[in-house]
Formats: sequence, structure tokens, C-alpha cells
Amino acid sequence: MPSTTDDIAIQATDLRKTYGSEIALDGVSLSIPTGTVYGFLGPNGAGKTTTMRLLTGLSRPTSGTVSIRGVSVDDRRNIASLVGYLPETPPLYEEFSAREQLEYVADLRDIPRSTAGERITEYLDQFELVDDADRRISGYSKGMKQKTAFIQSVLHDPDVLFLDEPTSGLDPRAARRIRDSITEFADAGTTVFLSTHILPVVEAVADEVGVLFDGHLVAESTPTELQSRAETGESGTLEDAFLAVTSESTTETVSEIE
Amino acid sequence: MSVRRDIRHGARIGRAEFIRSVRRQLKNKRRLLGLGFAVLFFGGNLLFVLPTAYILGQTARSITTIPYLAPAATVLPAGILVLAIFRTLERIGSSDREDLLLTTVHPRSVVVGLITAEIGRVTVWFGLPLGAMLLTFALGLGSPSLPLAVGLLLLPIVCWAAVWGYASGLALLRVFRRLPTVHRTLKVGVVVVMLGLVVASQFVGRYVVEEGVSIRAVLDLLTFAPLTDYVALAFVGTRLEQPTSVAALGVLGVLLATIPLGLSLATRQASTLWFTDRPHSSESKAETTSTGGFQAPRPFAWRKSGRIAWGILIRGVRNPGELGHLVMILFFIGPLGTTVVQSSGDALGPLVAGTGVGIGTYLAGATFGLNPLGDDGPQLSLLLLTTTETRTVVRGRVLAGLAIGIPVAVLVSLASALLGTALRYAIAFAVVGVGMCLAAALFAVGIGAVYPIYEEREFWGTETVVPSTLVMIGYMFIVGGGTIIGLITTWYTLTGHVTVTPLLGIGVGVYLLLTIGMSYGSYRYALRRYRRYTID
Repeated sequence: MPSTTDDIAIQATDLRKTYGSEIALDGVSLSIPTGTVYGFLGPNGAGKTTTMRLLTGLSRPTSGTVSIRGVSVDDRRNIASLVGYLPETPPLYEEFSAREQLEYVADLRDIPRSTAGERITEYLDQFELVDDADRRISGYSKGMKQKTAFIQSVLHDPDVLFLDEPTSGLDPRAARRIRDSITEFADAGTTVFLSTHILPVVEAVADEVGVLFDGHLVAESTPTELQSRAETGESGTLEDAFLAVTSESTTETVSEIE
Repeated sequence: MSVRRDIRHGARIGRAEFIRSVRRQLKNKRRLLGLGFAVLFFGGNLLFVLPTAYILGQTARSITTIPYLAPAATVLPAGILVLAIFRTLERIGSSDREDLLLTTVHPRSVVVGLITAEIGRVTVWFGLPLGAMLLTFALGLGSPSLPLAVGLLLLPIVCWAAVWGYASGLALLRVFRRLPTVHRTLKVGVVVVMLGLVVASQFVGRYVVEEGVSIRAVLDLLTFAPLTDYVALAFVGTRLEQPTSVAALGVLGVLLATIPLGLSLATRQASTLWFTDRPHSSESKAETTSTGGFQAPRPFAWRKSGRIAWGILIRGVRNPGELGHLVMILFFIGPLGTTVVQSSGDALGPLVAGTGVGIGTYLAGATFGLNPLGDDGPQLSLLLLTTTETRTVVRGRVLAGLAIGIPVAVLVSLASALLGTALRYAIAFAVVGVGMCLAAALFAVGIGAVYPIYEEREFWGTETVVPSTLVMIGYMFIVGGGTIIGLITTWYTLTGHVTVTPLLGIGVGVYLLLTIGMSYGSYRYALRRYRRYTID
């Protein structure tokens, strides 16, 4: 069934981003339906973080447009309530405790105090942070920081969640907790845009996968289709498919140059 | 509605940022100790200022009899405006948690928050002593409510200057981002202007005395009457009350009308600055390649500490922003330079030689030695787990400093022969200079290891790890004092103006003992800190 505008959570049209003569993104278009977990793959330097920043409105494209749930990302006042963003480096204040941090963000997001209190307590419990909630974040492990930042990004119950390497460097338990949460949010109707290098995570949770290579979106399909397209055989993994797609693209790029 | 919401969010951000600043200051005991020294040093002045303010309050018969009130009323807003511009360029031009704030609230809230936090910080630093002075003056005047009235009148001035300073600072940041060459040129320009100001300050006193310049005329020049009238509003209801002028109300009206305008402009500037990227220079790629591997030239290649020194030197050359703290020396070169310029004949050569030794000695320790653990911070886990001994690492840092300081001390001393210094004197200065450089470099690594700074901060337009200000000042006073004593002793010994007495012998002995003892002790302390270093 063709999507209507209402069904589309993330709409990006012909995004192009250049830094002087260097092209970071070239003609990237995305149309991601509501409730989808979209796995965004690409080698280092492919332009994944740049894309995330464009999609969240933190950076402006050289050309092209982005809207979230039909709202242009330039409309900063209205876009804030629609998106949650967890960048690769958790944006936390080391001088605060997790509870202070979350209450602060809840306040900035105008979540009523009682609702915020309930949600914070619930999330802290869910992410096993209750016992450390009043400790300063400067004393947290990487996993604890990441979990706190994850809670912070979903506290206002956003329509679209952008996650940049959310499980990178985490122990299996913490990674599993975040992975499960992604699935739960998607089941509840949240659209999740997940950028990661950890392909098993994408394999486990993504409904759709996009592969960015050298600033171009070189493949976009379901994980299963991607594996088939890469002709990796039935036993092939998403990792095999990813390597196949990106090496195809390298060859094409080389041919174009020649 | 949205304005009220933005202001509310801004106030919340301001409070959070202020709390963070306070907690950052309080969490480090050494920093607290430094603050304690600063408070003692500057707070001591209040012992003299407060009684004076009280007597002034008792004796003042009209507003015009309060010294410097009129020029201060003009200089204050101008000063806050300039301070706000500099702070914006240096530190508050953006939030360190931009990703979070910009996806959570409107940029206007972030602007309000950053400005509010800064006003809070400045109030703690300057507001408390000024408030104490004002309160004492008010008690002398017999009007304890005066501080409240002054506070209410100052609020629009502070907000106006802060908002417009922020807008101007952001505008400059945008220009610098677009035209990095202008930024670089301006940095050099500011150094030259600062040097010029320090030098000019040496002549002002003499000029005023010799030319009979009227101080009152200068103060009148700095006075903008409507602002004085505005400040006079604070005295309504006191015995110094004067009729309210239209100009005073006009100033209030202008301030209140232009604050929202400034905020709007600042928000526009911020939105443009924060949502656009730094331009990528095509030159940068060429600059970031180097061929040939790591090969230290002789004499650095002879020993491992030499090769470590070469690595430090290479990094310094490739990232000169890391050496921005050396700009502190300008405050000392200025007066010295003036003395050199004003001297003639026989004095010129020795003064140049002495200046060379002084600068060389300063550079030997200050260039790479004042924050050894902090500079090595990210690599310490590597350095300390290699088979290289700690002393080799520390010696490498000392050698790197010497490689900068000794050539300056020796070459300038020898070159002073061209300006009339006898060759043997020039050589003697050069030899003494080498000894002093060694002492300074050894001393620096120790004093620098006392209070390492690991966090990067914006300094002179560059994000870098800067040595502690207390360490820099301490180093400058101790090494500066020691160098001056050593140079004077050297000069009098060379010229035969010294009669050898037991007292002199003891004095020189104590000086040498202190210089050698402190330097060696300091070096040993640095070794100990490296050996016992733990990542906390």
C-alpha cells in the first residue's frame, strides 16, 4: 500500500552537503514510514553522522529538504518535541547526577513534574540505574552514561528516535537492554533511525536497511533482500551483504573515475 | 507565549550552567586552594577599601563629590560590553552540550541561558566585592536601601551590555569562521596592541607630569552625562538626592527598548552560527601530511630523551596554539622593553643581553614544562607502560624547553656585543644564561606537576590544555625574581663593582643553593609524580 504523508515519519529529499569542494553527501533521499526501525549502515567517513545531523536539523544541507512527520526541520520550535537524538558522544553534564540530568531535561521539554518523576523512576529502574541515580555522572561507567543518555533521548516520548552508535563499547548486558528498548519503542509506534557499525544489532532489530557509501545511498531494502541482492547465499549474514555492497560501490566509483 | 517559554527555559539553562561551574570549581581541591589564594590576595585590599568607602559615605555632600562616579557610570557599561564580547569569543559562544540543547529547546532559550549563567559567574567574581563596597558606602551614608536601588538600576545596564556584547561576539565569530585569515591576523594584532598598551602605560605617568595634562579633563572626556544622571536615580530618597532629569529616564527607556532587540539579534546570530558548519579548508589536507617517518636530527637523535624532546618540539611547531600561554610574558616584556628603548650608550648592550637571558630562561621552562602531566595526559597510559624510564620522559620535556630557551639566551647575549657589550661580558652572560635556562626548565616540570590541568579549554581562540594560571604566575615570579638577582650579581661581578665580603659570600651561596636546590628538588618531584601517576 503506498504511503501517505501521514505515514511517513522521516522524509528527506535529494540531500546534498558539501564542505568547500569536498562532497560529504550527494543526493540522498529517504522516505521512512512511521514505526519502522531503519538501520543506517556505512563505513567510517561515509557520511552517517552528517546525515543524522541534517535529519535532526542540527546542520543545514547545502541543498535538499528534510521533514519529520510533515514538519520541516527548520521549524525548530515544533521539531523539538517530535525527535529524540542520542549522538555518539552522550550529551551529559558530568557535574550532575543522572536524576538531576533527567529532571533538567524533562523541565526543558516541559514534561509535567509528576509525569516526569514517574517516567524517570520507571526508566531508571528499567535500565538498572536506580542505585546510582544520585551519583554524579562523572563517576559513571561508559555503559551507565550511555543508558542515561538513552533515557534522556526518549523521556518526552518522541515520534522519531535518532540513535548514533547507541550500543558501541557497551557490555553485552547494557547493549541488550538498549536493543530491547529499541524494539519496544518501535512496537509502540516510534520510528527509530539507527546508525551503527554493529551489524548483528541491525540484523536483530531493523525492518529496513540503508547503506551509505562515500556520500551516496547505495542500497536500501529489508535486511533479507539486501543479503539476496549481494548474492551471498542463504548462509550469508548482513555483514557479508554489507561488505559486498560497499565493495561493489568501490568498484563502480573506480570505474567512473577511469 | 513562546517568548515567556523561551525565557523560562533560558533561566533553567542558566541555573544549570551556573551550578555546573560552581561544582567544577568545588570538585578540585587544588583549584580551591588556588581560589583561596586569589581571594586572600584580592580580598586583602578590602581591608583598606571598605573603611574608605564608609568614610566617603559619611562625608559625601552631593553626588558630584563622590570620586569617579561620573566616569565610572560610563566606563561600567562599556567595560561590561567589552567583557561580554571577549567572553563570547573565548568561552560562551556555544554550549558544550549543543546536541542536547538544540534538539530540546529553541536557540533563544540557549542564548538566554548562556548569558544568564555568565552574568551569574561575573556577579560572583566582581559583584561580591563591589557589593561589599557599596553596602559599606550606603551604611556610611545612612541609607541601607541604597544597594537595592543600585542593583535595580544596574540590572538593565548589565542585561543590555551582556545581550549586545553577546550579539557582537557571535557576529565576530561568524566573521572569523568565514574569514579565518582575518581571525589569525587579528590574534597577532591583539598581541601587538596589548604589547603597545603595556609599553604606553610606562609613558603615561611621565607624560601627565611633564605635559601638565589635567586628570579632570581626561575624566570629563570619559563622562557621558545622561548615564551619570541615570546612576543618580539610585540616590533618590537619600540625602544625596538630586532632581530627576529627563535624560536619566531616556537612558532607562533606551536600555529597556534595546534589550529585546539585542536578544533578537543575538538569537539570529546564534541560529546561523550554531546550525552552519565550519568551512573545510582545502589547505588543511596538505598541512596534515608528513613524509619520512619520525627521524630526529642530531644532537636530538643521540639519546632517547633527545628523541622524546624532538617529538615534543615537532608537536609544538605543528600545533602552535598549544603554546598560547606564553603570551603572558608580554606583560613583563613591555616594561623591560621600554627600559631598553630608553637606555643608550653603555647600558644598551648589557640590557639587551640581560633581556635575552631573561626571555630565554622564561621560555626554557614555560614553553613545555608548566603542565607536563596535563600535556602528556592522553598519552600517559602509553608512555608509562613502555620500557622507557620515567626520568627519560621527564628529561625529554626538559630538553625540549632547553632547545627553545638556550638559543635565545645565548644568541641574544652574544649579539649584544654588536651593541657595545664587551665580548667577554657577552660570553659571560651567555654562560650564565645556559645555567639559568637549565635551572628554570628543571624547576618548571616540578611546579607544573603540582597542579596538572587535563581539560582542554578555549584559550586565545584555540581549544587547548593550558597550564594553571596560578602555576604560570608562580613560575614567573620565582624564576623572574631569581633571574633578575642572578643577572645583577653577574653584572656587578663582571664590572668589578663587587667587594668580596663574608656577607656577600653567604648571600651568593644562599642564592646558588636555593636555585640549584629548588630546581633539582622540583625535578625530583616531577619524577615522583610521573612514577606514582594513576588514572583516577
